[in-house]
Amino acid sequence: MISSSVDIPVRHRRIVPRQGSFDHTLVPPCQDACPLHMEIREYVDLIAQGRVLEALQVIREGNPFPSICAYVCTHPCEEACRRGQVDNPIAIRALKRFAVEFGGDRMVRPEAETKYEEKVAIAGSGPAGLAAAYYLRKLGYPVTIFEAHSELGGMLRVGIPKYRLPREVVDTEVQRLTQMGVEIRANSPVISLDLLFQMGYKAVFVTVGAHQGLRLGIEGEDSPGVVDGATFLREVNLGLKPAIGERVAVVGGGNVAIDAARTALRLGASKVSILYRRSREEMPADPVEVEQAQEEGVEIQFLVAPTKVQQDTKNLTLTCIRMELGEPDRSGRRQPVPVQGSEFSVAIDTLITAIGQAPRVPEDFRLRIGRGSTIRVDPLTLTTNREAVFAGGDAVTGPATVTQALATGRQAALRIDDYLRHRYPAVSKPGRQTLTGDLQPKTIEMIRKHNRLEPPVLPPETRTKEFAAIELVYDWESAVREGRRCLRCGMGAEILFQDKCATCLTCLRVCPYHVPFVGEGGVIQIPADQCQACGVCVGECPAKAITLRKPRDRRQIDGELDHVIKAAGESKVKPLIVGFCCQYGLYGTGTLANLWRESKAGIWVVPVLCVGKLESEQILRAFGMGAEGVFIAGCGQEQCARENTAFWVQQRIAKVRKVLTQIGMEPQRLQAVNLSGGEDNPAAVLDRFTEQIGEFCLASAIKGEVRT
Amino acid sequence: MIIAEQKPLEEIRRMIAPYERVLILGCGTCMTVCGAGGEREVSLLKAALQLAQARNGEQANSFTEYTVKRQCDLEFLDLLADRVQEVDAVLSLGCGIGVQTLVERFPDLPTFPGVNTSFMGAAKEWGVWDERCAACGECRLGDTGGICPITRCTKGILNGPCAGAKHGKCEASKEMDCAWILIYQQLERLGQLERMRRYYPPRNYQVIPRPHRLVIKADIEAGGGHA
Repeated sequence: MISSSVDIPVRHRRIVPRQGSFDHTLVPPCQDACPLHMEIREYVDLIAQGRVLEALQVIREGNPFPSICAYVCTHPCEEACRRGQVDNPIAIRALKRFAVEFGGDRMVRPEAETKYEEKVAIAGSGPAGLAAAYYLRKLGYPVTIFEAHSELGGMLRVGIPKYRLPREVVDTEVQRLTQMGVEIRANSPVISLDLLFQMGYKAVFVTVGAHQGLRLGIEGEDSPGVVDGATFLREVNLGLKPAIGERVAVVGGGNVAIDAARTALRLGASKVSILYRRSREEMPADPVEVEQAQEEGVEIQFLVAPTKVQQDTKNLTLTCIRMELGEPDRSGRRQPVPVQGSEFSVAIDTLITAIGQAPRVPEDFRLRIGRGSTIRVDPLTLTTNREAVFAGGDAVTGPATVTQALATGRQAALRIDDYLRHRYPAVSKPGRQTLTGDLQPKTIEMIRKHNRLEPPVLPPETRTKEFAAIELVYDWESAVREGRRCLRCGMGAEILFQDKCATCLTCLRVCPYHVPFVGEGGVIQIPADQCQACGVCVGECPAKAITLRKPRDRRQIDGELDHVIKAAGESKVKPLIVGFCCQYGLYGTGTLANLWRESKAGIWVVPVLCVGKLESEQILRAFGMGAEGVFIAGCGQEQCARENTAFWVQQRIAKVRKVLTQIGMEPQRLQAVNLSGGEDNPAAVLDRFTEQIGEFCLASAIKGEVRT
Repeated sequence: MIIAEQKPLEEIRRMIAPYERVLILGCGTCMTVCGAGGEREVSLLKAALQLAQARNGEQANSFTEYTVKRQCDLEFLDLLADRVQEVDAVLSLGCGIGVQTLVERFPDLPTFPGVNTSFMGAAKEWGVWDERCAACGECRLGDTGGICPITRCTKGILNGPCAGAKHGKCEASKEMDCAWILIYQQLERLGQLERMRRYYPPRNYQVIPRPHRLVIKADIEAGGGHA
C-alpha cells in the first residue's frame, strides 16, 4: 500500500518551541466562570506578591468598571474556585476591591480619540449601556447615552441600595466616560428608534433594563400600601422617602427582596419580614447577604405565600398560606404546594412584592419581544429584528447580574464595531484550553490548609442606622495572605520535552502532591488539573525535560539574576552578596522594603516566586557571576503555601555547598536565612551574614598573597 | 540500570586541564536516571568548572554542553560529528561503556570519564540506589527466592548464611540486611525451604573468558538458519 501523505522524518517534523516563548497555561475555572473572562489568577497572584498597581492594571484590562464589580459582583468565580475543594474559595471580589482601593483606581484616566464618524446611540445607562459606551468610545466611535432618569447608572443607581454600592463609585465611572468624550443625555427617555436614526445615529444599542415589577396576582394587590420592590428601591434611591410605617412584609427570595427588606430597615421600619414560598436551600439570593440581613434583624419566614391583601382603616391585613415542597419543577427546584387549611393573617403597614421584574420595551421600538417581555436577539451578534439595532442587558435576559451586563455591553460594542466596519463578526475566538475536573483526594490532603480571610464589615447595629457601605477593605497584609491561598490552577508543570524524558520517575517521587503518574505505555504524565505548580520536579528533573507552563515562571529567576549582577557590577560596593528572596512573603508584605533601608549596602536581591523553585544551577551561577556570598530567604514556614519548601531548599544548598567545598570556598558562603520576623531583626541577620562573608574574603585574600 | 557517581571536581579539572575547548557530554539514559550525568548535571558541572577557574584566577576554558540519548550506541554518537570538530577533548558523563564507545567512534579525540561507574542497581527511593546484580553470567535467582547472594551478601557466598549474622543484619555492617536471612524468609514464604538444603557448587569462573560477547543473531553462513 502506498501512503499518499509525505513521510517526513520525525526529527524534522517536530517543531521544538523555543524555551521561554510559549504560554501553555490552561484557563482556570474562575476565569471560565467570569462573564467578563477576567484574568483572575493573574491579578490574585500579583496581589499575593504585593504588586497591587500591576494587579489593578490586569483587572482594568478585563473590566471597564472594576470599582463597581468590586462592590456588587456576584462572583461566580468564587463558586467555581477549586480552593473550595480544599477549604474555602479565594475571596476574589474582596481582593479586587483591595486592588481598586490600594492600586489607585481613582487616578486612572482612560483616554479615547474619535477615529470614525458613525455615531452610536445607547438607550439606557445601566451597566450594559455604560460598558458598551466605554468600549465603543475606546474603539473610536462618537457615542451618546440616553437615560430616562435624571442620573445615570440604571439599576446601579435606582436598583442597588447605597449600602452595597456607594454612589460616588458610579459617579466616578460616569465622569470618566464624560472625560472620554461620551455624550450624556439624562432625563431623555427614548420613545422611538426611528427618531434616533433621523438624528444621524448609525447604530443603536437598546439596553433599557427590566424595571417592571411582576404582579403577585392576588386579591387586593392594588391597595395603597402595596408596592413592588423595584419601584420601592427606585424611589428610595432617587432620594424620596416613602412612608412605609413600622411593620413591613417583603414577598420574594431573590436579591431584590433582600435589598428591599434591608432598605426598609434603614428607613426606620421596626419589624421587617421576608415571606418566601420555598425553603432556604432554594433561595436565589446571595447567602452572605441573607445572613447579613438576618444579622440586621430581618426576619425570614420560609414556606409561606400571600393569598390576599385587605385594607383596613389603619393598616393592611395580609393573609398567607403555609407551603410544603413537592416535586421538582422545570428549574430543578422543588415546587411549593399549599398546605390545606394553614391560612393565617398578619397586620402590616406596607407590603413590598419582589418576585421578579420584566422589561417594558416601548411598542414604538418595533422590536420582536419574546418570553417574559424580553427583547429577542441573536445571542452571538446581539442583533434584533431591526437593522442596526442591537440589544442587551436585563431587557434581553430578564434580571441578571451587573457583571453579566458589563460583559454584554462589551460584546455589543464589538459587534456594533463589526457591523459599522462591515466585517464578518469575529465571535468565536480560538482560546486556550480550559481546566476542568476536580482535585483528587490524595492531592487535596497534601495541600496546606489556610482558611479564607473575610474583609471586615461594619457591625449590624451601626449599619442599619444609615446607608453607608457596610463592607470595609482588607489591610495590606490580609490581602497578600488571601491572595497567597490561590492554587494557581492550570499554571503547573508539564513534560515539555518527551524525547528527553528518561522516565526516571524523579518527578513522581519528589512531587509533594502525588500528581505525576506512570501512564499507558510507561509514559510519565503530569495532569494539568492536579499540579500545584510548586516547581520541585522542574528543579529536580535530571533531564531538564519539565517546565512550568507560564513563561514568566520559567524566566523570572534567570532574568532577575542577570539584571542584578549587571547592576551590581556597576556598583563598587564589596563584598557582593546575592539574596534569593521569596517574592510572596517578603516583598508582598513589605519586609524587604524595610530591609532595604536598614541593612548594609552590597546586598542584591533576586526576587523568587517561592524559593522552592530555585535551582542549584542558579545558585551556582550567582557565585560564578562574582557573588562572594549567597543567601536564600523564604517567606517563613507559617505563611508558606507549601509544607516542604525548606527541605528542597536545603537539598539544593547541600548540592551547591559540595561544589563550593571542592573548589576551596567556605560552604558557609551559602546560607538559608530567616527574614520573616522570628526573634531576630532581619537587618541584623543580614548584617551578620555580610560580616561573615567579609571575613571569608579577607582570609582568601591573605591566602592568595601567601600563595604568590 | 547502571549507577555511577560523579568524580571529584579536582580530578576532573586535572584531566581536562591541558585542553582549551572541552565538550561536556551527558548521557540521556542510565546516567540521567541515576543523577550522575544527565542534562542537569552537565550544566551544573559546567558552572562548577567555570566557578573553580574564576576563583583560582585560571584562564577560562571554553565549555560546550550536549547530551545524547545514549552514549553506548554508535548511531547516537553520529549526531556529534560536527560538534567534536570544534573541541579539543570530550568529558563524558556517560558510564564506562559510553566512554569507550565514544573512543571507538572518535578515536582521534581525547576522551575522559567524568563519572565513576559503580554498579548495577535499582532506586530504593528518590536519591538512593542499591546494587542488585553483578552480571555474573550464571543467574541463581531461581534458587534463592529472587534475592541475589552474589551482590547482596558481602561475602558473596552461594551456600549461606555464614555464622556472622546478628538480628538479621550482616556482621560487616549493622545497616545491611543479611542476604541469606532474606533468602530464607522469602523461600519460607514461598514454601520452598527445601532449596536451602541443597548444596550449590562453586561458580565456574573459567567458563567464559573476558571480555564477554553476546551474539543472538543466527550464523546463517555456517548453516544455522533456515535453508
